[in-house]
Amino acid sequence: MIAVEKLTVAVRNLRHRTVSVQWRFALAASALLLLLPFIFRLDGQSHADWIQFLGSFHPLLVHLPIGMLVLLLILEFAGRTRVALRESAAFVLYLTLLTGAVTLIFGILLAYGGGDTGATVTRHMWGAIALLIELLICFSVRPAWTSGQDKRSYPVLLSMTLLTLTWTAHQGGSLTHGSDYLTRYMPGPLRQFFPSATKASDAAYAGSVYALNIHPIFDAKCVACHGAHKEKGGLRLDFFDLLTKGGKDGAVFVPRDPDQSLLLQRVTLAQNDQHFMPAEGRTPLTADEIATLRAWILAGASPTAASIPGIRATTEKVEPPLQPVGDYSSLINDIREMQRSQGAKLVAVSAKPSDGLILRTIDVASKFDDAQLARFDRFAPFIVEAELGRTAITDASFDTLRKFTNLRALHLEGTHVTGQSLAKLSSLSQLTYLNVSGTKVTSGALASLSRMPNLRHVYLFDTPTESASEFTNKSPLKSTQ
Amino acid sequence: MKQHPLCTDCENPITPLDLPIPAGLKREWSAVETRRKFLGRSGKVLGWAALAGLFSEMRLRSYASGAEVTSPASATGNALGLPHFAPKAKRAIYLFMSGGPPQMDLFDYKPNLAAQFNKDMPDSIRGNQQLTGMTAGQAHFPVAPSHWPFAQHGQTGTWVSSLLPYTARMIDDLTIIKTVNTDAINHEPAIMLMNTGNMNAGKPCLGAWLAYGLGSMNDNLPTFIVLQTKTNPKENNQPVSSRLWSSGFLSSEYAGVGLRSGADPVLYLADPSGVDRGVRREMLDTVEQVNRQTLADVGDPETNARIAQYEMAFRMQSSVPELTDLSKEPQSTWELYGPDAKQPGTFAYNCLLARRMAERGVRFTQIYKRGWDVHGDAVGTLPILCRETDQGAYALVTDLKRRGLLDDTLVIWAGEFGRTVYSQGGLSEENYGRDHHPRCFTTWMVGGGVRPGIAYGETDDYSYNIVKDPVHVRDFNATILHCLGIDHSRFTYKFQGLDQKLTSPVPAHVVDGLLA
Repeated sequence: MIAVEKLTVAVRNLRHRTVSVQWRFALAASALLLLLPFIFRLDGQSHADWIQFLGSFHPLLVHLPIGMLVLLLILEFAGRTRVALRESAAFVLYLTLLTGAVTLIFGILLAYGGGDTGATVTRHMWGAIALLIELLICFSVRPAWTSGQDKRSYPVLLSMTLLTLTWTAHQGGSLTHGSDYLTRYMPGPLRQFFPSATKASDAAYAGSVYALNIHPIFDAKCVACHGAHKEKGGLRLDFFDLLTKGGKDGAVFVPRDPDQSLLLQRVTLAQNDQHFMPAEGRTPLTADEIATLRAWILAGASPTAASIPGIRATTEKVEPPLQPVGDYSSLINDIREMQRSQGAKLVAVSAKPSDGLILRTIDVASKFDDAQLARFDRFAPFIVEAELGRTAITDASFDTLRKFTNLRALHLEGTHVTGQSLAKLSSLSQLTYLNVSGTKVTSGALASLSRMPNLRHVYLFDTPTESASEFTNKSPLKSTQ
Repeated sequence: MKQHPLCTDCENPITPLDLPIPAGLKREWSAVETRRKFLGRSGKVLGWAALAGLFSEMRLRSYASGAEVTSPASATGNALGLPHFAPKAKRAIYLFMSGGPPQMDLFDYKPNLAAQFNKDMPDSIRGNQQLTGMTAGQAHFPVAPSHWPFAQHGQTGTWVSSLLPYTARMIDDLTIIKTVNTDAINHEPAIMLMNTGNMNAGKPCLGAWLAYGLGSMNDNLPTFIVLQTKTNPKENNQPVSSRLWSSGFLSSEYAGVGLRSGADPVLYLADPSGVDRGVRREMLDTVEQVNRQTLADVGDPETNARIAQYEMAFRMQSSVPELTDLSKEPQSTWELYGPDAKQPGTFAYNCLLARRMAERGVRFTQIYKRGWDVHGDAVGTLPILCRETDQGAYALVTDLKRRGLLDDTLVIWAGEFGRTVYSQGGLSEENYGRDHHPRCFTTWMVGGGVRPGIAYGETDDYSYNIVKDPVHVRDFNATILHCLGIDHSRFTYKFQGLDQKLTSPVPAHVVDGLLA
């Protein structure tokens, strides 16, 4: 875009044969800058030591042009009232250009020498090139501005430069400190303006040892340099298929042979070895993590295996996933209104709306009857647990309850239900818990529930059925495992 | 503008500052509020207020909005975003065995110790550990094997001491943890650490955190109730104080409400004669009006807490008599809990109350049983202690289970530390004493979220050091929070510049091996 703009300006100037020295210089320099990425093509290989050595000065130098560009803006602005400042601004502009060019070259050397690739690296590089070209144009149009011929272009260009600088610097910050460095400690109210970046993971392998135990190690210790932002050595460890692809030195692991696996070799080298990983003084892997990796590779490095000897399950274990019930957020005002008028509460199971609602009647139990339950009709699909113990509901309520299609737990203890209509619940395929303690429910009525697939916990304490129940072998603690 | 007779320069009107008057007077004049100054400053104030609004957390705003803060769970979405995930347990009952039960006399079976009777425990086992003043001066540390035989119980074949015949019956349901360890070797710091995650007073306890984070399930009873068991003078009773159920820096309405262990669980519960409910209501309404005025004037959130407490006390006037009226309990209850349960203040009675509270939606009940501090005469006092607690604990778990409450209730049994394998004072064939031991002790949990029928962790042959799977008090508490749907690391409250949490700033981990 900018290049095109610049060229049209230059071509127009050519036609009028008024191409100044500045313009010629800017044109030549821009062309050189545009060539740079093609001379130093980022191929993921690391290059000569001296290149890496020079490159390592980039993080130091980079602050010079940033500071100077900001100073330039201040000088130009303050120069409106103090002419002397505006004169020094020209010098600062030269310096900005000079240091900027050096920084850019060193930055490219850093990426080229260290074998960095990745989307953020590329964005950072092109951002810097665009920034320098903009500065060159600024440099060329400034004389026209100071002489009063063109009052508009220079200020506009300078503002654009500032925007480009901000964007490019942010890319650089993301490279050094991680993509969430800006929002990580941001106060909550501000953070809501930024969409939160989700961590990469393989959805296909959810619940496997790879997803629960292996990927988190890579995520914590490796992905900063071997991920979407940086691909040191052409290696990415953020997805399983990229992991199997390996890097420039070939595959990083040999299934069933941890000792031949590059991955394990690199993390178990002496810490002062130049091939030791993680490099650059980042936190090494713990003995536990290495043992986990070893066990995983020894077992064949499968991305799907759900259990592997020697690896203990982590917190996020595979639980029978709760059936998501859809989002009730749009009904939130109705829910509040319902609570105010009925006294019974609809309580969120958790902070996740898809976990559903609990219907809680304890505060108004003695007055809660069939008619009141019927009013909760419209929330039926969101209610996963109905606490109706000791309420005044009767068999008539089963017609309402039947609509609670996502119901998982139903408390009917101490109510007047008789079980005549219990069969109406058999369409509730999610129901796992039914408590009819202290009711007149009989064993005959329960027979109709025996075909319900998930119903595992049925409580019949203090009912006529209690002693001779076919559900006793389904009491909760025995059936949990 | 009308020209002042003295004014010669209308562009720059004279101000008192231009007059030839003493400097003190001029200063006084400039200190006076002028309209210009007032407007200028209010502009700034508005700016700051907008900024504060932008940066403030929920808490700050909730102070301003008054009553809403008192019931975080009343609207569907909990203002704190809790529970973080769908919980396995909605409520918890904590049987606190104050004093430090001896793990090797109850659960941690060490058959090899019999051969070591009266031999000195090897120095290598103790290492450089600093002991309490009570045994540090001992020249010998004679090993005292447990006086009671152990047997295997249940399908899991778990070893349990003959002191706990009732607990042995439910052993297949329990999650036994043999490797809980603590940082403190004396009662007060250890019991504080166990309850509040910190040895120093001033931090909220587990129950207060739960009351704050999860809120009430029942408007008519407190969210967090503490029950004291009557002390037995034959036992060595260490004091327990209200700081163990304090809300610390959280609003005081989250503190545990203690019920008395006598026949009258709450004193002066009935209205005085001549005062009917209507009069009481009017009186409280007026008090509330005054309190709301104070809140508006001062803005102290504690005023809010006070308003909520008055209301709770009013509702408890009718809910507590119903709670403690055991006359409708069926005969099977008394068979299960035993004859003790008829006596208010016994452990069994408290267990029965705890079950009734669970039914009535009390979020967290903590029962304190003192007397486990068996420095001497272990053989004499342990049978008494076990007789007092064994059946009650068993009855509570069994009762919850048969009524379908155990699925979403977590029951916890724990003391503040364990006891030493070596005898404190003289060791004889008949008797011994045991000193405090922080390095390992045994606790159990049962119910929503924990894995039944396991014994977690291993200790060495002397039940002195942990050899496998240690569970620090912080991990223990993190695991409890996990069962209740809370990620301990995200459950924080900003105070004194720190994101305070129950599991303290030291890293803690949920113990996966304990989870169902």
